[in-house]
Amino acid sequence: MNLAARLKPFDTPLTLVGAVLFLALLTGLLGIPLLTRIVTVMFVSLILVLGLQLYMGNSGILSFAHIGFMGIGAYTSVLFSMTPAAKELTNSNLYPFLIPLHLPFLPSLLIAALVAAIIAAVLSYPLMRLSDAAAVITTFAVLVIIHVVLVHWDRVTNGPRTLFGVDSYTTLWTSVISCVITIFAVYLFKESRIGLRLRATRDDAYAAASIGINIVLMRWLAFIASAFVAGVGGALWAHFITSFSPYSFYLTETFVILAMLVIGGPSSVSGAVIGTLIVTAAREVLRAIENYINILQIFPGGFFGFTEVIMAIVLVVILIYRPTGIMGGRELRWPGRRRLSPPVEQEPVRNRNV
Amino acid sequence: MSDIPSAEPNHNALNIQGLCKYFFGLRALDGVSFSLSRGEILGLIGPNGSGKTTLINVVTGLLPATSGQVFVDGTEITNKKPYQIAYAGLARTFQTIRLFRELTVLENVEVAAVSMGLSRKAARQRAIEILEEIGISRWSEMLASVLPYGLERRVEIARALATQPKFLFLDEPAAGLNEDESEELLQVLSSIPARKNLGMLIVDHDMRLIMRLCNRLHVLNFGKTIGMGTPEEVRKIPAVLQAYLGKTVAGV
Ligand SMILES: Nc1ncnc2c1ncn2[C@@H]1O[C@H](COP(=O)(O)OP(=O)(O)OP(=O)(O)O)[C@@H](O)[C@H]1O
Ligand SMILES: [Mg+2]
Repeated sequence: MNLAARLKPFDTPLTLVGAVLFLALLTGLLGIPLLTRIVTVMFVSLILVLGLQLYMGNSGILSFAHIGFMGIGAYTSVLFSMTPAAKELTNSNLYPFLIPLHLPFLPSLLIAALVAAIIAAVLSYPLMRLSDAAAVITTFAVLVIIHVVLVHWDRVTNGPRTLFGVDSYTTLWTSVISCVITIFAVYLFKESRIGLRLRATRDDAYAAASIGINIVLMRWLAFIASAFVAGVGGALWAHFITSFSPYSFYLTETFVILAMLVIGGPSSVSGAVIGTLIVTAAREVLRAIENYINILQIFPGGFFGFTEVIMAIVLVVILIYRPTGIMGGRELRWPGRRRLSPPVEQEPVRNRNV
Repeated sequence: MSDIPSAEPNHNALNIQGLCKYFFGLRALDGVSFSLSRGEILGLIGPNGSGKTTLINVVTGLLPATSGQVFVDGTEITNKKPYQIAYAGLARTFQTIRLFRELTVLENVEVAAVSMGLSRKAARQRAIEILEEIGISRWSEMLASVLPYGLERRVEIARALATQPKFLFLDEPAAGLNEDESEELLQVLSSIPARKNLGMLIVDHDMRLIMRLCNRLHVLNFGKTIGMGTPEEVRKIPAVLQAYLGKTVAGV
């Protein structure tokens, strides 16, 4: 078998990885600090959006909880990556047994992701049998619960105060490598035995059950995997931004990553990537316009919230005219495209008289 | 007629004993008992609203039974979860078509084999073979949502077969098909039970199809059994004639 044929099943992730690597190289070559910063944050967002796609795209159930697991990942990774001296300096309330913990960045990140996944496993199991509105509202409740715990458990999180002094480990390159791994992982999940069964439950829960699919189990596994990815994203973000508070992991962030996924198209990995790129670009342009208007002082009282309002309007318009997002469930692929239309010799469509 | 005492649960059959399903006051199923052996084709017929679909839904675990029992090869499966019942060897199609619309035809069938524990590769191989047998392999790469109507039911049958069931329930597989398509379906269905060693229960209003396909018939009306036997015997039962009186059903 030649190389092209071998790679054929992976044309989608390879295309996406190619695009991401190209962007990273271009940014690295240009070497503009502001651009590097924007692109690095975009890669971290992309990891979060991919993690959300893993659950939402395959199960068809909206989740508001994702950013909560990002928060868990951020705080957990910092507990391990910070030096004991830095911990005593920035959070005098910390449980004494947490102070001596100290590991390199990568193990800290993996432990953080694991902790997010374990907490997701415990919190979500009872929720996975719910469908429709109940399923969505309860994920929102999970977000609120995580937020409240982060705010009040100051012996771990430093409470509502900003936690600062985190080492800056996340670079353009660490973030892009993590992105590449995540793209492959999320795509392989979609095509895995679990992913295929989960997509079947998304399309028809009754039919899925009738062929032996345990819907609750499939959703649960995907939710856990999704939280793991969110934990990775949180750990990367924490070590890029270096100071944050529980308010960094709440409604604003939730809205942004949901907008990215919904605009791109939640049911494909390509949709997650395209949505993240487009929304990041759009937000930066809108923010520049907002700043410019403020500099010109057209509005005496200042001009704020323009970016958020426009993003919200775009989201609403997309949901009305293209509810399946830009990609509409399709994946980008390079050489031949999958046949979506009937073959040449087609039987006439019968009247649906039942 | 409905209270025929059933024997000990048979070890190579599906046994339904005194199955009842009440929707509040409505007795959709009222003490139905029968058994279905491997290799056999049983026709379940009755006027609209007589409880045929409800029976399939209760047996496959979609609805809880009010009372009664269901055994597969001697093991009780009453009120187990639908996916557990699928594992026990029951598969079905739906009166209102339920395909995985965003999956291809091949994936629709493949996922059923995957859910029975096969690897994706082995499942794909089994799906390809079944699509070939059912005569729809030409459409395998098409998304189920754009499939012509006449083929949707065949994909459901292929999907059910991919679980390698011991017993297969088909809810109105010929509904909405024209005569040619119905004839084609008959050819496909008639050889399945013997080849796959499975018992097939078929519900349909197309009496020509039922009479030619089935070894035995079971007739329901208002949730009660009003007749059972070979097609010839059932035709002569007064209660059956009564239930169908005034209805223009060919063959009865
Ligand atoms: N989920 C439900 N809740 C309440 N009543 C129901 C429900 N499902 C079915 N019924 C009622 O139970 C009775 C039997 O319905 P069922 O669908 O089993 O009939 P059927 O024999 O399949 O009819 P048809 O030939 O029209 O498909 C009907 O009176 C129907 O209205
Ligand atoms: Mg029915």
